[in-house]
Amino acid sequence: MRSHKHDQQAQRSFWQMLHIDMPLLIGLMCLIILGGFIVYSASGGDSATVIRHIKRLSIAFVAMFIIAQIPPLVWRKWAVPMYIVGIGLLVAVLAFGHVGKGAQRWLNLGFVSFQPSEIMKLIVPITIAWFISQYDLPTKFKHIIIAFLMVIVPTLLIAKQPDLGTSLLIASSGVFVIFLAGASWKLIGGCAVLGSAFAPVLWMFLMKDYQKQRVLTFLNPEQDPLGSGYHIIQSKIAIGSGGLNGKGWMQGTQSQLEFLPERHTDFIFAVFSEEFGLVGVTLLLVVYLAIVMRGLWIAVNAQHAFTKLLAGSITLTFFVYVFVNIGMVSGLLPVVGVPLPLVSYGGTSMVTLMAGFGILMAIGTHRRFIM
Amino acid sequence: MVKKVSKYKQMTASWRFYLVIGVIVLVYLGLTARTAYIQVIEPDMLKQQGDMRSLRTAANKVHRGSIVDRNGVELAVSVPVDTVWADPKIIMEQNALAKVEHWQALADVLDKDVNSLKSRVTKNPAKRFVYIERQVSPAMADYIKQLKIPGIHLRKESKRFYPAGEISAHVVGFTNVDDKGIEGVERVYDDLLTGEQGSKRYRKDAKGNRIEVLETVDAKPPQDLVLSLDQRIQALAYRELKGAVKAFNASSGSVVVADVDSGEVLALANSPSYNPNNRRNVALHRLRNRAITDFYEPGSTMKPMAVLSALEFGEVTEDTVIDTSKRIMRLGGRRVGDPRNYGKQTPADILVNSSNLGTSMLALSLPKEFFLDKFFQAGFGESTGINLIGESQGIMHTRSRWSQIELATLSYGMGVSATPIQMARFYASIANGGVKKPLSILKREKVNSYDEQRIFSEKNTESLLGMLEQVVEQKAHRAKVEGYRVGGKTGTAFKAVAGGYGNDYVGLFTGIAPISDPKIVVIVVINEPGGDLYHGGEIAAPVFSRVMQGALRLLNIEPDADTRVVSANDDNGGKRV
Repeated sequence: MRSHKHDQQAQRSFWQMLHIDMPLLIGLMCLIILGGFIVYSASGGDSATVIRHIKRLSIAFVAMFIIAQIPPLVWRKWAVPMYIVGIGLLVAVLAFGHVGKGAQRWLNLGFVSFQPSEIMKLIVPITIAWFISQYDLPTKFKHIIIAFLMVIVPTLLIAKQPDLGTSLLIASSGVFVIFLAGASWKLIGGCAVLGSAFAPVLWMFLMKDYQKQRVLTFLNPEQDPLGSGYHIIQSKIAIGSGGLNGKGWMQGTQSQLEFLPERHTDFIFAVFSEEFGLVGVTLLLVVYLAIVMRGLWIAVNAQHAFTKLLAGSITLTFFVYVFVNIGMVSGLLPVVGVPLPLVSYGGTSMVTLMAGFGILMAIGTHRRFIM
Repeated sequence: MVKKVSKYKQMTASWRFYLVIGVIVLVYLGLTARTAYIQVIEPDMLKQQGDMRSLRTAANKVHRGSIVDRNGVELAVSVPVDTVWADPKIIMEQNALAKVEHWQALADVLDKDVNSLKSRVTKNPAKRFVYIERQVSPAMADYIKQLKIPGIHLRKESKRFYPAGEISAHVVGFTNVDDKGIEGVERVYDDLLTGEQGSKRYRKDAKGNRIEVLETVDAKPPQDLVLSLDQRIQALAYRELKGAVKAFNASSGSVVVADVDSGEVLALANSPSYNPNNRRNVALHRLRNRAITDFYEPGSTMKPMAVLSALEFGEVTEDTVIDTSKRIMRLGGRRVGDPRNYGKQTPADILVNSSNLGTSMLALSLPKEFFLDKFFQAGFGESTGINLIGESQGIMHTRSRWSQIELATLSYGMGVSATPIQMARFYASIANGGVKKPLSILKREKVNSYDEQRIFSEKNTESLLGMLEQVVEQKAHRAKVEGYRVGGKTGTAFKAVAGGYGNDYVGLFTGIAPISDPKIVVIVVINEPGGDLYHGGEIAAPVFSRVMQGALRLLNIEPDADTRVVSANDDNGGKRV
């Protein structure tokens, strides 16, 4: 099956020379255009917001394009130093970072403020993929434990900031690598048990009150409709009032009239659902699915274990983004701060995401160099 | 190197990817299903919830209309007042309770205890609206405004004021503190007086800003209500009635003055009454509009019905002589009789003497159905059309079996109960030549002919008027009005109580003037007089006389005394010229 791939790679197209994966790019463009429109609507027709959104998008695109040019195995070489620097930065955040909205996430380097947790979203899967791809199959239990530890350290550091959403994403990106590398089912079962045993510890010692409240609220949002349940109730109302066909662009009352909080960031899916209805939602999910499928296709066809694992992890993490955000907005999951990827207004996470897609594209188009 | 890669390929098992794809597709289906559930299964509830959050209706408040009498005298007006309210949340946030002197001043001006005032706020610290005092005077409002206590606000409201006070309280009624009519015409014509409040349905955002107006209902301006009452007559009637009730130590009394042609009620007074401007501690019975709610056995004031029915049937004329010399008639073991022997009487004599035997004989000479029908036609047992809350229909039995004694007692007003207002309509029908018209508490130009019903012939009612004039001329001297020809009938009835009759009386006088061209009927009821005097002729007739006199003069009705032919022969009665 793989053998005739070589023929295809022989005739490389213009886009491949640019290291752009066309199907992926089309999917991303669809999302970004949809996102632009819905951010415009959710911000109440504020063009300044949209312009800022587009600026960040452009930066993200440039980042993607640049990263796509880098042969993916380069990341493998630099995995360990990046990981060490990343952990160092996370520690620095806890020590010197400044606090915004009750959480300590930002690090000011004098010329620029950024969230180290964001770059860890890429560093962790790279590092784990590097680590596991060094050893032969089957991955030894010892190595899997080490890999787990390498995931847990940054996860806990980020959870401590606290940033539950990001730590969740990072943990899953690492776990996906281990899973794809072929961790035995016994191990997976064991981890599940360990994870559920860890939950009370998380609840008792690591979660802040507002996070506990979110979980309680998730279990019963109507308990405090004006307080902590407000987000989720308003959001469900917004989604539900969209109906089959939606109220039309810029016509959603719940979102336009500012009943819906965080409507152009984390809760933008509710705005989208209210204005475009079930038809629009289905379309949006199809686009996401197409991107994920393309990402997995790239992973399956990657020729090196490192790139294969990395591509799979990046894709699956993207999928987790979508799942957690939509699940949270529609009341299936507790409220954790995860944006709807490439649609929500938001800076840092968009750049990281696009950088991830840059790596994906590199993996998809640099095959020759691997050989 | 190629070899190594192929080993790695084996390592990252492809089937895991396919499993992952399967899981992903399933999760996507789950998300779609979830959204579909919210959007297609639940949306009605959620849409409604959305509308609940964003749709509001605002009412444009309008001033309540005034109530005036037929000449434009104000009986109920709305005056602007202020209501003091508190916003406990703001008060707590701004720690306004710490301004001790300001709160003391507020309590002083409202004449309240400062601690109870504060506790209203502290008990509901999260509320946004608590009444402190409703409807304070503009001066007090101004003072409170000067105090500038954070969270204490004023709201414009209107308060009803009744310049006529207790005089017309029962007719006008009153409103509650929310400006809604709850008694009298204030209640009956509440919609008219309120008008229709204009309202706007609009969409608001989470901050309360109005976004779009969805629907506007234009206000119907409130209307002023013009009553049929003539406040001058009303005041006179009330004054006279109140005096009589007091003088005769009666428990209550009512006066009705009505225009015989239009059916308009010119005065409707009850005693005891109440001050509608200050209803604190008013005994509930004082609120009763007795002229329409209370019914009495009319006693002898019903006798003209027996005479008129006999005349209508045609076998009796005003010259027919009825022999009542046996004084007592036995009917099925019970006796009907007169206090003394009146001998041979004409119908006029029967009324003058108020002969029970006479009316009984007249009644028994008639076919039962004919006689009973006259009562029903005259409107006993039905409402008068005055359209006031609480009007009673009296008691007029609709049973088919009437014994002779029942018919006989009916002829002198026992076994039937009527409200004063029903008596007024009956006498108005006699006075206007036999036409029953609905009464009205509102001023009106003319009765709708559709509502008019001829129940007696003009000729016979004219004869009856002559007889009633003789009653006043010969017997009920206290009912006379100088300068005018007056007809009427006294009545004294035992109060019907459960199982029979008690020891209390009702004194009545019902009369018409001027007889040459009747304009006005006046009904006077004095209930349960407590003194030695209790006859209608003694306690009700003087009230009638003074009210009738005043009404005739106030309405500029020409005296007609000179049209009277005084007959030398009393037995034949004074025939009209």
